[in-house]
Amino acid sequence: MSISVKGITKHFGKFTALDNVSLEVPNGQLTALLGPSGSGKTTLLRIIAGLETPDDGTVMSYDQDVTGSSPQDRQVGFVFQHYALFRHMSVFDNVAFGMQVRKKPKDEVRDRVMELLRLVRLEGLERRFPSQLSGGQRQRVALARALAVQPKVLLLDEPFGALDAKVRQELRQWLRRLHDEIHLTSVFVTHDQEEAFEVADQVVVMRGGQIEQAGTPQQVFEHPANPFVMDFLGQVNVFHGRVEDGRAVVGGLEFAYPDYTGVESRNASVYVRPHELDLDNVPFATTHLRARILHINPMGSMARVQLQAEELDFLLHVDVSHERCRELMLAPESKVYVAPKRLRVFIPDFSI
Amino acid sequence: MSRRSLQNIAIVLLIAVVWPVARQIQQRFANESAPEAVESRTVVREVALLNVSYDPTRELWQAVNAKFVTKYESETGVKLTIKQSHAASGSQARAIADGLEADVATLSLWPDLDLLRKKALIKAGWEDEFPNGSVPYFSTVVFVVRKGNPKGIHDWADLGKPDTSIITPSPKTSGNGRLALLGAWGSVVLQGGSEENAREFVTRIYRNVPVLDTGARGATVTFSQKGIGDVHLAVESEARLEVRESNGELELVYPTKSIRHDPPVAIVDAVVERRGTQDVAKSYLDYLYTPEGQVVIAEHDFRPLDAEVLTKFADRFPKVELFTVEDIGPNWDAVQKKFFAEGALFDSIYQEIHRSDSAK
Amino acid sequence: MMPQKSTVASSTARHAASREDPVWVRVLLIGLAFLVIGVLIVIPVANVFYQAFRGGAGVYWKNLVSDPDTRHSIFLTLTVAPVAVALNVVFGVAAAWLITRFKFPGRTFLTTLLDLPFAISPVVAGLMFMLMFGLQGYMGPWLRDHGIKIVFAYPGLVLVTAFVTMPFIARELIPVMDAIGSDEEIAAVSLGANGWQTFWRITIPNIKWGLLYGVILCNARAMGEFGAVHVVSGHISGQTDTMPLRVEKLFQEYNNPGSFAVASVLTALAIVTLFLKIWLEHKTSHELAEARDVGVT
Repeated sequence: MSISVKGITKHFGKFTALDNVSLEVPNGQLTALLGPSGSGKTTLLRIIAGLETPDDGTVMSYDQDVTGSSPQDRQVGFVFQHYALFRHMSVFDNVAFGMQVRKKPKDEVRDRVMELLRLVRLEGLERRFPSQLSGGQRQRVALARALAVQPKVLLLDEPFGALDAKVRQELRQWLRRLHDEIHLTSVFVTHDQEEAFEVADQVVVMRGGQIEQAGTPQQVFEHPANPFVMDFLGQVNVFHGRVEDGRAVVGGLEFAYPDYTGVESRNASVYVRPHELDLDNVPFATTHLRARILHINPMGSMARVQLQAEELDFLLHVDVSHERCRELMLAPESKVYVAPKRLRVFIPDFSI
Repeated sequence: MSRRSLQNIAIVLLIAVVWPVARQIQQRFANESAPEAVESRTVVREVALLNVSYDPTRELWQAVNAKFVTKYESETGVKLTIKQSHAASGSQARAIADGLEADVATLSLWPDLDLLRKKALIKAGWEDEFPNGSVPYFSTVVFVVRKGNPKGIHDWADLGKPDTSIITPSPKTSGNGRLALLGAWGSVVLQGGSEENAREFVTRIYRNVPVLDTGARGATVTFSQKGIGDVHLAVESEARLEVRESNGELELVYPTKSIRHDPPVAIVDAVVERRGTQDVAKSYLDYLYTPEGQVVIAEHDFRPLDAEVLTKFADRFPKVELFTVEDIGPNWDAVQKKFFAEGALFDSIYQEIHRSDSAK
Repeated sequence: MMPQKSTVASSTARHAASREDPVWVRVLLIGLAFLVIGVLIVIPVANVFYQAFRGGAGVYWKNLVSDPDTRHSIFLTLTVAPVAVALNVVFGVAAAWLITRFKFPGRTFLTTLLDLPFAISPVVAGLMFMLMFGLQGYMGPWLRDHGIKIVFAYPGLVLVTAFVTMPFIARELIPVMDAIGSDEEIAAVSLGANGWQTFWRITIPNIKWGLLYGVILCNARAMGEFGAVHVVSGHISGQTDTMPLRVEKLFQEYNNPGSFAVASVLTALAIVTLFLKIWLEHKTSHELAEARDVGVT
């Protein structure tokens, strides 16, 4: 393991930022620390970088204990949320800084800076100052600067957070391709689940200073460990009902749920993602809801349909392709039938 | 931030502290070499004296120093520099007590010098070290008025007239200020008036003082340059200089009687012993009593002790009947206690004026 | 929509009304402002130069350089002020760094304490040092026994001058360093720079204009300081009289041309300071604007 943290605890005054956190960062992979603000993800990143000292626990880097080491001894590259470029230095000097303070020979510095600027596609801009660059360019300078010290681990704190949506999208894909080229063990912090899922090899979901779940994007998305993860990973329809002996009951409707076979009747929440609901003009499944369309909201490749369930007094969201939308001639006020393709039931304080 | 940044801050703070200390050490070495130089006088021929004096004697000491330095150098071959420091007499005494390294103190009043005896900087019996109770010259308080004497001020009694604005420095800090108060007091009690009369008269005077400067020179500037006040109570030398500099805008008025001003001089023993300047300080003050020194004194409008010199300069010094501080109280200590100590007569007069002013 | 429109309308109306103040009111107010500035500032300042140059440039020059005591006072001020400023640069940068980069108990108290020298009358500041280092003070006898002179000597002049001008640089740097933030310093550390490298290569270049601005103001005040220096100087001509003290002394000695000649040098320094200040204000606002620009976009 390139980076491994064990039992990390960190307090800021009375606030507990991290509570006994342990994590393994697999070698050569891109790991995303995902969570809402205040979940401790940035603190964890800064502790790995050596910019903060944990109150308790150890940080191992390539099997060496680096808990007490200074940032300069850890060989990490750090990319800051607001880039933190040196505003009084040119792009060249920014990238060269790490090598210059390490007293590398001039020629070597020059060659390496030029190579890195090519890598981040900023050739020809080496004389510009940060104030003369766009946000995306600044972020790439920050990346090149972090890579210049040939770090063993690259750490990125909300690297795209300050960019507008389009640039963010581009840069995300570019980062993924760059990672595939150089295969540098990387950890980045984000609060955007879409970003985490698109870029990362491993996703670590955090909340309140603890890790809720860690795994590949697929694992986390398909098998969320708890309602929080489920909820955090995107829009979800939540129904409050019961489970009893292999069935989930919501309102008057029953759905088969074999995971809870043999379980006594108890209160539970049923979670269904918008794309996991099917919708038709005619009844199509054994158990279905009747609903009335409130609103159709086109969202990229899909349309999100907002519905009012008729028997039950709640709102539903369903994702439908545009094609299907046209086929069914969906419009507000039209009546439809809805049934889940797949659902997840979480019982409070119950683990399988 | 990391521990390293903390270390750096510590270093920066350390420098901020160490630097002044380093300077002091440097200063100390500079000082250590100085007494050595004086002890081996045959080898090193440079001596510096500091004469800490009161305000109106700047010009006097400049002239005395120039003459004495030449004389001393030609007689001993030692290169002498004399530095001067001037401010209100009381403040200067305090500064010496606070560590101003005066080799000689030439102040305005006996209590100021005696303060230094009390602080063990000057030996007891300092009054007997030089002739005439260590007073090398004397003077008196006279009046300076504006051209043509528009307020008709001829003697002390005229100062009590209403609408007469009077300039005199503060008796708390200035020797001149104390003398002016005692002069006014004496003009009443020594002519048969009671102490109540005197107090009432002095209160009337200070009620009409618009600015109470800390030093004699400050009061002079207030009167002559800023043009405030109708009459300035000044020591004769200061008054004559002021009138001379005024291009005919000011006039001198001699009262019939006035207080005798006896400014004493002394060697500051604690300082000269440490600096090894006893002998040169002694010669310096002795010089004041020589006919040559007395002439310089007279030339600067201070009254010389030497009868011959006084006769020679008689036209400068009109006859004034002089009474002394001892005529008012048995001695300076008693006068100081009665008039100028904390909460004594001057303070109570001053408070009374303030009370009645704010009552208006 | 409607209420918005009416606010716009009423504000334009107000604007128009303000423009329609009677002509005589405007002329009177503007005239009054110019009169006050003229009488209180321009005429006295011009008069300093008029008095100084009254006898011609030759006499002016002679007044400045022929009197050894005056010469020494200029020399003294030109040595005391820079040393005091240097002390305050070290102190100011350290204090600003401490206050903007660390959270510690008593931080607000320290910030308040920084302003103390501005709140204390310079004369009182001088007396404080007298009480500390004077012969009748706490450390006086010890200092004398060890041959160290502070009051009535150069170190005392430097100390009181540094004391009364202490807040200038820290006060100037705190907002600049707050606006710039610690991101770049942390970035430098993460790139392997040690503390000194970070300080010299990142912090100093970022705050250089603000620092220079503080230095200029601090220096102007240090050269002009009178009250505190008056107390600890001892008034030894040609030894501990700084320029402002010399001005007073010459004035009291009826040497008006000499006094005004020295005063004119101080005034000229003040005017130069003023222009530097205007220029630097432009630079520092640029520094702050850039901090905002690069920081948050």
